[in-house]
Amino acid sequence: MSEQVASIISEIKTIASNVLERDIQEVRGFSERQVEAIAKQTAIIKKGVENGEIDDDLREFFLDGLEAMTLNFVNTLKGILAVTIEKLWNALIKFIYKAVGAVT
Amino acid sequence: MKALSSPLFYLWLLSFLFFSSCQVTLAPAYDQAIVDKVTANSELAMRFFAQVDGGTDSATYNLREPIYNELIGSFESLKLQAKARPVPENAALDKINALLASKGTSPIAGDYPSAFAFEQIAATFAKMKNTDKTQGLKPVVLEAFKGQIEIYLDQAITYEGFLKR
Repeated sequence: MSEQVASIISEIKTIASNVLERDIQEVRGFSERQVEAIAKQTAIIKKGVENGEIDDDLREFFLDGLEAMTLNFVNTLKGILAVTIEKLWNALIKFIYKAVGAVT
Repeated sequence: MKALSSPLFYLWLLSFLFFSSCQVTLAPAYDQAIVDKVTANSELAMRFFAQVDGGTDSATYNLREPIYNELIGSFESLKLQAKARPVPENAALDKINALLASKGTSPIAGDYPSAFAFEQIAATFAKMKNTDKTQGLKPVVLEAFKGQIEIYLDQAITYEGFLKR
């Protein structure tokens, strides 16, 4: 019995690690690209406002854009999280039903 | 992390998963047509930015108008396609959101981030078109439009790609 429990625990750990490690790597790459691009965008807007190429109307448009894109960056991460939770959940459910079937 | 090494945690997890439900869907379905269309239009957008690199003169705006119209129309259409997929609603998602709320975190899911990105890309091209028509595009202004579109494209492409389970 305790050997079976230990085996199930070990299998769950492996399933969870496989799903999470792959997804976390992708999310890390996306986050780094976004943070860098948003910082660069901020610097471009600042430069344009300072040298007068970006007028008041465009300044407002780009500042609203910065706010919206940052919010959507967070929402994209949440959307990705939902997919990861779904993959993890379904992988575990599949294993658990298989394990229950094997012991009954 | 300590909880993860406890056998009790796994027993709780087993019971929770077993008794809560079977397979769940927490995000919309992957759509190859959307991915293909966004890939084609992002290439068109980048080729257009390469063409106007260095800035534009409003006197030659008419030459660019058809490309603006094509890009605006395509991204508006992508927004509609992305939003047309049903948002999954189920007990499992409600439970996860309730758990997140109890920890002071906002819920997952909601509107599609890719649809929002497509909408913003279309709006950015519309603003760019109007600016080009009335005053031409100065180099820094062009750089700012391109930066905004690239950021939204990355969000949309990453999210849509992630939906492929």
